[in-house]
Parts: sequence; structure tokens; C-alpha cells
Amino acid sequence: MQIFIQTLVTGIVTGCLYALIALGYSMVYGVLKLLNFAHGDLYMVGAFVGYFAIQWFGGATALIIPVPLLIIFMMVVAGLGVGALGVAIERFAYRPLRNAPRIAPLITALGISFILEDSVLLLFGGFTRNYNAPAFLPFRQSIHIDGVNIWSVQIIIVVVSVAMMFGLRELVNRTLFGKSMRAVASDREAAEMLGINVDRTIAMTFFVGSAMAGVAGVMSGLAFGQISNIIGFLAGLKAFTAAVVGGIGSIPGAMIGGLVIGLCESFSSSYVSSQYSDLIVFAILIATMLVRPQGVFGQPPLQKV
Amino acid sequence: MHLRRIFAGALGVMALASVTVLGATGSAHVAKIAKASCSTSIAVEAPFATGPATQLGLEQLHFAQLALAMANKANGTHITVGKDDTGLNPSLATTRTNSIIASKAVAAVGPAGSQEVEAVGPLFAKAGMAFISGSATLPALATSGANTTFFRVVPDDNIQGPNDANYIIKHKLAPAGSTILIVDDQEAYSQGLVAVMTPILTAAGYTVNHQSYNGTDTGATLQSDFSSLATSQVSATTHLVIVPWQSAGNAQQFGQTLQQQGKTVTLFGTDGTDSPGQFVIPGTYVSNFGPDISTSKSPVDKAIVKGIKKYGAYGAFGVPTWEATTVVANAISSVCKAGKTPSRANVLAAVRKTNISAANSAMGVPIKFQANGDLVAKAGYLFHIDSKGNYVEVPDK
Repeated sequence: MQIFIQTLVTGIVTGCLYALIALGYSMVYGVLKLLNFAHGDLYMVGAFVGYFAIQWFGGATALIIPVPLLIIFMMVVAGLGVGALGVAIERFAYRPLRNAPRIAPLITALGISFILEDSVLLLFGGFTRNYNAPAFLPFRQSIHIDGVNIWSVQIIIVVVSVAMMFGLRELVNRTLFGKSMRAVASDREAAEMLGINVDRTIAMTFFVGSAMAGVAGVMSGLAFGQISNIIGFLAGLKAFTAAVVGGIGSIPGAMIGGLVIGLCESFSSSYVSSQYSDLIVFAILIATMLVRPQGVFGQPPLQKV
Repeated sequence: MHLRRIFAGALGVMALASVTVLGATGSAHVAKIAKASCSTSIAVEAPFATGPATQLGLEQLHFAQLALAMANKANGTHITVGKDDTGLNPSLATTRTNSIIASKAVAAVGPAGSQEVEAVGPLFAKAGMAFISGSATLPALATSGANTTFFRVVPDDNIQGPNDANYIIKHKLAPAGSTILIVDDQEAYSQGLVAVMTPILTAAGYTVNHQSYNGTDTGATLQSDFSSLATSQVSATTHLVIVPWQSAGNAQQFGQTLQQQGKTVTLFGTDGTDSPGQFVIPGTYVSNFGPDISTSKSPVDKAIVKGIKKYGAYGAFGVPTWEATTVVANAISSVCKAGKTPSRANVLAAVRKTNISAANSAMGVPIKFQANGDLVAKAGYLFHIDSKGNYVEVPDK
């Protein structure tokens, strides 16, 4: 039972992070029908922003500000910074290709991914850097339940992720921006004719999706320690899988998909072997494509007759 | 007419004689310059810019640069170095090696990982170019017959693996009859060490639980691997976990995962995890093929310690690379001293004849190669990480 609960905790924590990244994939796909393969690298940039915030405030072992303030600062700066980066990428890389064949922005997205990875490599080197979060969030700050330890960082990840997901749901369902976003996702030309500023809506969508990836990067650094310029690739791939499994373009789908992938990965590592966890995760992707191509929460495309 | 012919013939003879004399003088002059300056280049292949072991790769690069500076000064040579990042990745190492072979480099130092040597060994062999690794320890690299120009200045896993296993048994790092978890990172180096250590530990009465994780995983996926390993494989009867990995950062993350889950086990890492800047879980043992020279009284070691200071902190990975670079530099110098221009063939031949005494070696053992490129003398080293995260050398027996 202890193994089961500890595995469940790990699965939920990693699933929350995948879900946050998957939301960005889904939102961008929703409005542009673009698979933004650079999204995983925005998560990596967020992790670096958080790392440098720690260094700026004295380093993990000699912080000059209270820890809660540091964590809030890291998340806000990473969210705003990576959000702005997402907007810039949309403005300069994707917008000029909006009316080009779909393969063009797809290839551009891959190019942006490499540019981000290699820019970080050139600027900061290929070093694996470590947040060393246990130095300021010690393991003794854990909840112990029947031999299972739940670290404070894991609780922070789940709480912040759930809050952001619900915040996003409210943003999409109850605000003018949300309405514009849904309208653009539904029919871009019709939305433009109704007076919606499509460019601004798409830019805002990129901002929100990228900001969530940036915050996920910070939380990933806090929980797992190691960051490098290559961490975005695999995380992005897993989050993309989560978005497809949940139904790409669907916000609840991305949330559920993220959790499903996180739990599958965790349970397959614990009960089968970590050697096969990737195989199992991507087998789920293939199975979903075969059985329900639109994903669990996705809508089948309308056939105009 | 006849006189004109004679005159023209005489002019021709004189011209020919002049060209011959000038040419001979010129050649002698060029040879004299080459001998005096002994200029050539070598390559250093290490994972210093990309991949999971950049910290160790940078250490190797810095020690190679220092060795070359020291050798150039001592031998009066002018050997330059080309830096080639391999990322600990066989595919990248292959690309870099092809470009080294296409360059004017006469020999190479590196690459670092056994899997990289497996990939590039036949390429160097075909080019007739000596390459000396300061950290590739898979036994088959020397015995397979595929890497005929390969040398290494470190003992192979057949020394390190049994040394480590016997130390664990002798010093009872795990209670007799208990379970020892050994985890490989699915790389040739790691699996080689597991294959060597497992039968020794099993024969001593331990139950060896062998698991794997994907060493190329990162972020959440990597953490998922580690959390699951710690959760499902480290039970109450597990007292020791052996991590023969190439990434010290991963070993640190795994150690922290164990701490986070409240598991009190001793970790035992091998050379790939030896990084005082990255892997600092107190109570851990880390074996390595390189000695700690920081407090050594040997003049060679003192000179290295003094020279390397400007590059900052270092572990035990740099010393073997210093030694490997010194072997190449000395081989080139000996070729020049024999009045020849360094070429791949004569540098390779000179490397084979290397004979550095223990007193002049930073490795603490004489540097002399067997026919297959392995060292004749072999030694291992062991470190214990104290409560402050410092590496303290302990006797390895």
C-alpha cells in the first residue's frame, strides 16, 4: 500500500506539470491549428529564469529574502518573462506564416525549438545546474502518512497547478478574452468580421500558454533539481502526448491527459520497469490515435456536406 | 653557333646546380626549423559543452590544456590543441572524430565515455591515429581487436568493479545476506560494471537486485524513474545502492529522492559520479581511477595543483586526462628529437613505446602500455563523502 500511495503521489505531481505544459499546446492548437513544438523549450526557459532568480537572491544556501516570497517572485517573473517570449515568437515567427501551408509553421516551430535550446547553450553553457531546493525547503518540511513522505514542494506543485488550471478555465469561460479566444478557435474569419481583434487574441493565447509553461519550469526545477538546455524536449513530447490523449484543443482534455500520462509513467516505472515507461506512455498515444483519434475530450471534426 | 650551344648548356647546368643546391639548403633549413619548433596539433575530445557530464568534460579539457602548456615548456615544443565537444554521445563523437581525422591533428586525447570509444575506435584505427582516453574503462575496448590505436591511462572495469565489490564485502557496507540494489543507466560503461560486480557480490551471499533507468531521461520523466526506483526497489532490507552511472547530477538527484522518501541507505558511486561540485550526498562512497593529488608531495602533482588553480574546483577526472595528454606530448617530442617530423604513424609508434616512471606520473603508477593499449600497472582509488560534502580519500582495500 505504501508503494502504491508513494507512486500515486509521484504520478500526480509529474502529471500536474505535464498538464500545465499540455494546456499551452492545446490552447495554441485551438486558435491556430498549430503544433507548437517550441513549447517544451519555453518550459526550459522558465526553469532557467527561476534558477537565476535564486542566484540573484544570494543562492540556495544563503537566501536574502523569505522563501515564500522567493517562490512567488520566481513564478511571477518566469510567467511574465516566458509569456512575453511566447508573444515574441508568435509575432516574429508564426504570424508571417499564418496563411502559409500548415507545414511551414510546423517546421518553423521545430526551428524555434532548436534556436531556444542552442541559445541557452550558448548563453549559459551545457552545464547541468541544480536548484538545490532542499537547502531552503528541507525534506523535514514533509507530510508523513503511513510511511509515505509528501514533500512541501510536491504540495506546492499540486496546489499551484490546480489553481492555474481552474483560473484558466474561468478565464476561458467567463471573460471577454475567453470569449474572443473561443470565437477565434471556432472560426477565425467570422470572429474577425464580428470585430474581434484576432491578432491580439492569438498573442494573448500565446502569452497565457507560455506563462503556464514558464511556471511549470520553475516548479520542475524546485522538485527535481537538475535543469539544462535539453530538458524541454522530452517534457514537451510527453505534454504533447498528454494533449493528444486528452483531445488537442480541449482544455479539460489537456488537464486529464497530463494526469493520465503522469500516472501511467509513474505506475509503469514502479510496477513494471522504468525501462518500459516511455514505451507504455507512447503506446497509449498510439492506442488513442487508433481508437479515438480526437482524444478523450476532443470533438470529431465536422463534415460539411 | 657551337659556342652558343656550349654557353646555353653551361647556363643550364649552372641553373640546375643552383636549383639543386638552393633546394637542398632550403630543405635543410625547413627541417631545421621544424626540428627546432616541433610544431604540430592534437585534438581533445571531451563532453565539455553539451550532454550530462559537462562538469567532468570541462575538468578534462582544463587538465589537457595544462598538460600541453607544461609539456610545451618542458620539451620546447609548439603543440596546439583542437577542442572537440562530444556530449558523451557516440553519434556526436563520431562526427567530431571524422573532422579530427580530416584535420592535421596527429593524435587525440579522449573520448571520455566507453560508448564513444566503441563508436570512434575503428575510425581512428583506419586513420592510423593514436587516441588515449583518460576515462573509458569498458574492458572490451582494449580486447575486442577493433580499436587497434586505442590506449588508456586508467584501469579497466575488471580492476575497478572487483575492487569496489570486494571493498563492499570486506568493510560490510551492507549486512551479510542483505539485498544490494544495483542500478545501471543503460550505457555500456554502466552495464559493464554491473556485469563485473554482480557475481562477486552474489558469491559473497548478497541478494543483488539489478534495475535499470534510462540515463538519457530528463526532468519529470527522470524524476519519475528515480521516485519509482526509490519507492518500489529500496525496501527495509536494502542497505546499499550501487550507482555506476556517468552522470553525477543524476546520482545527486537520486540521492535526494531517497532522502525525500526517508530511505536511509548508503550509496556507492563509481568514477562517472565522482564530481565534488555535483554529487555530495553525505556518507556516500565513490570509487575512481584517478588519485586525489591535492595534498600530494610529489613535484609533478604539486606543479599540476599549482597550474590548475586558475580553473577552479576539480575532482579526480582531470588527472588521468593530464596524464593522457602528457603521453601524447612526450611522444611528439620524442619524434622531433629523433629528427623526424611528427606524423600520425610515428607518433603512434612513439606512444606505444611510452615508459613514464611512477615518480613522473600523476597517476601514481608507471605509465607503460600493453600491446592492446591497456596499462601494465593498474590502481584504483576510493573516496568517502563526509558530512560537509567533502571527498576524503580512503584506502581502497
